[in-house]
Amino acid sequence: MRTSRLFVLIASLALLTVLSLSAAAQSEPIVIDFYYPSAIGDNVATIMDRYVAQFEEANPGIDINPVYAGSYTQTRDTIQTELNGGGAGPDVAVMLSTDLLSFIEEGHILPVQSYIDAGDDPAAWVGDFFPALLLNSYDADGALWSVPFQRSTPILYYNADMLAEAGYAEAPKNRDELLEIAQALTLPNGERWGLLVPFAGGFPIWMFQSFAIASGRNIVGDTFTDVYLSDPAVVSAAEFSRALGTEYGVGPVGGSVWGDTPTAFIAGQAAMIYHTTGSLTRILNEAPFQVGVGYLPSGPAGADGTGYGAPTGGGNLYIFNPVGQERSQEELDAAWQWVTFLSSPEVQADWGAATGYVAARVSAWDLDPLKSLAAEKPQYGVARDQLAFASREFTSYRAIDTQNIINTTLSAIISGAEPDAAAALASAQEQIDALLAEYK
Amino acid sequence: MRNTGDTAGRGTWLLTGAAAIIWMLPLIFAVLVSFRPQAEPVSIGNIFFGSRITLDNYAAAWNIAPWGWHYVNSILFVVGVLAVQIVTVTMAGYAFARLRFAGRGLLLVLILLQLMIPTAALLAQNFATIRTLGLYDTRWALMMPYWGSAFGVLLMRQTFRGVPLEFEEAARIDGANWWQIMRSVYIPLALPAYIAFALVSISSHWNEFLWPFIVTRTEEVRPLTVGLNKLYSTTELGALYGQLMAGTLMVIAPLVVLFMLFQRRFLESFASSGLK
Repeated sequence: MRTSRLFVLIASLALLTVLSLSAAAQSEPIVIDFYYPSAIGDNVATIMDRYVAQFEEANPGIDINPVYAGSYTQTRDTIQTELNGGGAGPDVAVMLSTDLLSFIEEGHILPVQSYIDAGDDPAAWVGDFFPALLLNSYDADGALWSVPFQRSTPILYYNADMLAEAGYAEAPKNRDELLEIAQALTLPNGERWGLLVPFAGGFPIWMFQSFAIASGRNIVGDTFTDVYLSDPAVVSAAEFSRALGTEYGVGPVGGSVWGDTPTAFIAGQAAMIYHTTGSLTRILNEAPFQVGVGYLPSGPAGADGTGYGAPTGGGNLYIFNPVGQERSQEELDAAWQWVTFLSSPEVQADWGAATGYVAARVSAWDLDPLKSLAAEKPQYGVARDQLAFASREFTSYRAIDTQNIINTTLSAIISGAEPDAAAALASAQEQIDALLAEYK
Repeated sequence: MRNTGDTAGRGTWLLTGAAAIIWMLPLIFAVLVSFRPQAEPVSIGNIFFGSRITLDNYAAAWNIAPWGWHYVNSILFVVGVLAVQIVTVTMAGYAFARLRFAGRGLLLVLILLQLMIPTAALLAQNFATIRTLGLYDTRWALMMPYWGSAFGVLLMRQTFRGVPLEFEEAARIDGANWWQIMRSVYIPLALPAYIAFALVSISSHWNEFLWPFIVTRTEEVRPLTVGLNKLYSTTELGALYGQLMAGTLMVIAPLVVLFMLFQRRFLESFASSGLK
């Protein structure tokens, strides 16, 4: 008796399942599948839907299908699986600016240079982007492949109330001042850190680039084969990064965790932090104190060739035209329309104000809501002005392998597990040179 | 029940209690953090609810995804998988337990091999199949790869082999056909195994993330785990642990309630089916 009832139950549930399934197939004029991994909290889908509605109203023949695709890594895995499985993948996607080479090598994407050249005034269009944000968009031959969308750089956040209390009216301008203030504001037993730099978690490369650039030598050059790890300036940056935790004790040994860093800052558990401009809106909204934002301090005071600087980061727009899944000319044109729209000064001004990503167009800063926001909260302008000193984010041929080597080496040095920074970096340099030898 | 005078008994009780608390710590942490104000992170000496108990985290987490759809989809997903699995593992389990046919050993080994292949290795292949069938971005696509279960086949085979052959023969002499034999002999005797299998199947598919994430892209057909992923991804800009924990509790709540309701039944089933 009981079993038969169980069967009826299962059978009816199965039937229910069948009935409630629905095929989601539709055919519209031109549909652009757009994948975006934007990590900005609860309103990202709402904002994106607004852009889609605006665009579709202006372009009746095109339908945008926005897909929130998780983190950058998850989005890349999704695209890879779809293409390997014979699927079409997205038509437009926001992916890391440093993904460029691997996408080119795999034949996934279309260069946008020809579209730019066909435009009214190519030089003016390109010239309206902050130059630093285009540094990761070109291939070795100087053709432009990707368009900046949600870009960021690390900046220095400081608790202005705490600094004022300790007698410091201004943000630190160089390494020595940074250290002095950090030491003055550190309280014992981890009650309050003077300076948190998120090196921990296995991916210190981006934060480390900040210190290397400040010391006078970015770890990546202008080509995809130039890597500088054994340079004395880079070694000194690594030793300083480690000393922040091990020697000076202004932060935990090995650095702080990425996600916990702004939270600790907001809660008053850290006087200063290095973090992405992408966190700016949240920090300004939540911090119950006067938030100061400054350029990343330069290297040792008085040394030659050192100065302000920061790597760039974040995501660019890519148009997909994968080998074996080529799109029609109409679809590619529609994709370019969408890319043009998202990178337009109007959208960039709105997106930058809503998120804290640095609006990538110079003219976006003369438009509302960004214009009035930057006037009201000068912190936004600091992030923009630092772009004048910003440089390339690390990438190279075999980028996954080279990044792995660098991240492993830096993690070992900064955590104190590897006492000889110079030797470890020299050995990493050798491994990378061997990997890149065939590309030189 | 508990003999407090007996020191050995009390020691066992203390040990089990300590172990239970250790296992519960993550859950306790999740509950505490989810009701704490977002602006007050846990710090030394301040680990409870903070200055006040708030539902803000739940409201924020609720607004981030269409949870109503996600609940519907997760339920359809686990029920749709389980319903078909019950049929396939019963058939296959019986065949391997009682029928003699050429290649039986080899086939069983092939099915068991499936247990050793990580799902991730089959992603692209499964995706290609689903696409060829025209099921990409549907609820069918979520379920289909799980309709066969190597673990279930093995479990039912072992269970059916434990049923004395005489029972089947007696039923046959009484004129029962195969279907009746299954219904009145094998399945009732294997009920604990079915329940244990159902629990394992439900909880593993409830928690499945990667496959549903890759094979769907419309929010309305995606399950809870994919919705939760949205909360998780915000950690890129700074961990919103309150929202994350609130979302996590929302996602696991149905499973926790299910387990609490049928706790004794489940434990008995696990004990009698020899599963751990």
